[in-house]
Amino acid sequence: MRALWRRWRWWLLSGLALLLVGTMVAGIPGSDSYAPLDPRSGAPGGTRAADQLLQQRGVTSRTATSESELTAALRADDTTVVLSYPDELPYQELARLAALHRGARSRLVLVAPDQPVLNAFSPGISTYYSDADGNTPVEPSCKLPEAVNAGAAQLGGQSYDPGPSDTGCYPHGGTRRSLVSRTTGTQQVVVVGSARPFTNERLDREGNAALALGLFGAHRQLVWQTPGHNVAATATGGHKTIDELIPSGWHWAALQLTFAALLAVVWRARRLGPVLSERLPAVVRASETTEGRARLYHRANARGHAAETLRRATRRRAAAALGLPHTAGDPEPTALTEAAAARLGRPAADLQHLLYGPAPTDDAALLRLADELDDIEWQVRQP
Amino acid sequence: MALTGRTALIAALGALLVGLVLPSWTRIAVVMLPLLAAIATDLVLAAPVRRLTLERSGNPSVRLGEAVDVDLLVGNPSRRPLRARIRDAWYPSAWAPGSSLTASRHTVAIPAGERRRLTTRLAPTRRGDHHSGKVTVRSLGPLGLAGRQANLDAPWRVRALPPFASRKHLPSRLARLRELDGRTSVLTRGQGTEFDSLREYLPGDDVRSIDWRASARRSVVAVRTWRPERDRHVLVVLDTGRTSAGRVGDAPRLDAALDAALLLTALATKAGDRVDLLAHDRHRRTAVAGRSPSEILPAFTDAMALLEPALIETDLRAMVSTALRMAPHRSLIVLLTGLDAHQIEDGLLPQLPLLTKRHEVVLASVADPRLDELVNTPRTTVRDVYGAAAAEQTRADRRRTADLLTRRGITVLDAPPEAIAPALADTYLTLKAAGRL
Repeated sequence: MRALWRRWRWWLLSGLALLLVGTMVAGIPGSDSYAPLDPRSGAPGGTRAADQLLQQRGVTSRTATSESELTAALRADDTTVVLSYPDELPYQELARLAALHRGARSRLVLVAPDQPVLNAFSPGISTYYSDADGNTPVEPSCKLPEAVNAGAAQLGGQSYDPGPSDTGCYPHGGTRRSLVSRTTGTQQVVVVGSARPFTNERLDREGNAALALGLFGAHRQLVWQTPGHNVAATATGGHKTIDELIPSGWHWAALQLTFAALLAVVWRARRLGPVLSERLPAVVRASETTEGRARLYHRANARGHAAETLRRATRRRAAAALGLPHTAGDPEPTALTEAAAARLGRPAADLQHLLYGPAPTDDAALLRLADELDDIEWQVRQP
Repeated sequence: MALTGRTALIAALGALLVGLVLPSWTRIAVVMLPLLAAIATDLVLAAPVRRLTLERSGNPSVRLGEAVDVDLLVGNPSRRPLRARIRDAWYPSAWAPGSSLTASRHTVAIPAGERRRLTTRLAPTRRGDHHSGKVTVRSLGPLGLAGRQANLDAPWRVRALPPFASRKHLPSRLARLRELDGRTSVLTRGQGTEFDSLREYLPGDDVRSIDWRASARRSVVAVRTWRPERDRHVLVVLDTGRTSAGRVGDAPRLDAALDAALLLTALATKAGDRVDLLAHDRHRRTAVAGRSPSEILPAFTDAMALLEPALIETDLRAMVSTALRMAPHRSLIVLLTGLDAHQIEDGLLPQLPLLTKRHEVVLASVADPRLDELVNTPRTTVRDVYGAAAAEQTRADRRRTADLLTRRGITVLDAPPEAIAPALADTYLTLKAAGRL
């Protein structure tokens, strides 16, 4: 056990260390593990604070990445969908999503969309492609209830020119607005120039939080778009299989390594001379027969025989120790018991029973007898 | 043909080149073709292997447990220098444990037309003859990438002699032998003693040895001294049958018996007796007779080196008749055999009168210390008790057989392996002192 521990402790310890470091690395809340505006991200650019506030107000929030998820979200009733990266949707996908029949009592929030997105979802609104300063608070200056409730907010970013039937809020001079809302029946499209006021970093300033709650908390369901495979691939460099990451030259190198391995096989396969094997003599322990006999006694429960053998050996040695005349066979019984009784000061009948008594009937009696015979022999040898 | 690790390494490093610079089949060819060409060059330029000359020398025998050096003289008659790995192969039991891999390998460089001596150190772990295997030579080319290889014959034999561990008992027994010699008169008179000389009485001498006639002639009291008779004949008979094969401790019974026989031989030779040896199981294995005192011990160890216990029943009848033929006159016959009841009763007892009629007979048997162990273990379980009972039974059987033989006039020794040799030597000295030889 100890040797095993010695041999394996370094492997065990290094394994544990590796596990620990891995757990710690995995536990670090990575700022780059989520994209900006992700509701799960606690980084300054994330929107977890807003998401938590909304959930406290009874809004159920989730994320959607793939086209099918987005399609389901847009079709659902009573739902707010926030397209954080509308520009990154591929062209065909954008067209398919825009052509959907959207659910009743739904709101679609487009964050800083470019003209193609606007054309798809809310034709008639145009963008100025100009960034407005998002640091100074701006008064809403419109009738949109959410904006009115929120009051001044740091809403800047891209600015838009609303269509005739649309509501435009947060003006930046002229017809430029940072927020444009268009309502068609119970379906609403809201275009915001920037999502910065709703991030963890800025949510606590001015009326940002109130605006966020108003915009995103109008319905019971809230769906955040997060950049996924198809969307993020272009943005961050994306995930590739390990095969794609290896430069193609190394496939050839692997082939060359195979040749090297073949040469190594040839190198190791040729022994320096043949194996020599030797005829060794059979070795049997001399005590094998005796031990076999012991096992036979045991299996046959030959208690009587074993007891008699032990008694005879004790009688012989005791007789020698007591100075009785040496005889070839067993010493004379009465002489032996009397001499032993005189030496030990024990009644002769006792010793007679011990040395010449009946065979023991069970294992415990046999053990007891063996012990007593040992004692007798030891005591007799004492001068 | 044989490659080296260098070849594989170069091919592996070539992978870097292939991977980093222009990966393609041509690049692989650029790496591999020169390598193959280099291998071919190496094979061509390597010194020829089959024309090497091999000569052996060294000590042809060694005591078991000691090391011996065997020299191998390798000659390179070709006109190219030889760079080679050489394996001097021997069977596994010829090596000291664990050294076979390192001790058998040699790396040599022999210029053209020269010879070099390689020394291989053996330490046999088994008694008997150890034969060499083939000598494998791998001659490498100048680049060290590939080489020619061949197995060559260079037969040699090292005989591992019995260790004679009991020779440490020899000085004390020789001292006792000198006491028996004529310089003292303390010995008793008997058949085998002869009158040596007269000397002055010293206090402590046995008064019975005073020679009154001689004292009357001189003015001092003279005592006679005797010395044990010399030129007695001792025949050591080794049983190499089944009972000698049993392992007692670490070695078979036969090894202990050989040890005892060697001590007895050394002692008896010093005492001026002639010693002969017979090893017998079903047939006569070996016999050494009529050697001069100076060569007797080497002859015995040499003969004993080859004895192996055979797993067959000993024919004691044949053994006794062979022994009788080898001992035509009164001799001390020492039987080194077992104490198996039925074997002794069937084989030896009917022959005993023939032996004891003319000879003094000693039977020495190697006892098994394991029996004592079985008897003396604390009896805590039933298994222990049965083990003790079985051991007692075996001991009782041996004792009964020994008693039977003792009553017929044979001296019986039953001693564990480390004690049998001194016990036999002591018995010899006692018999000699008593003049019973």
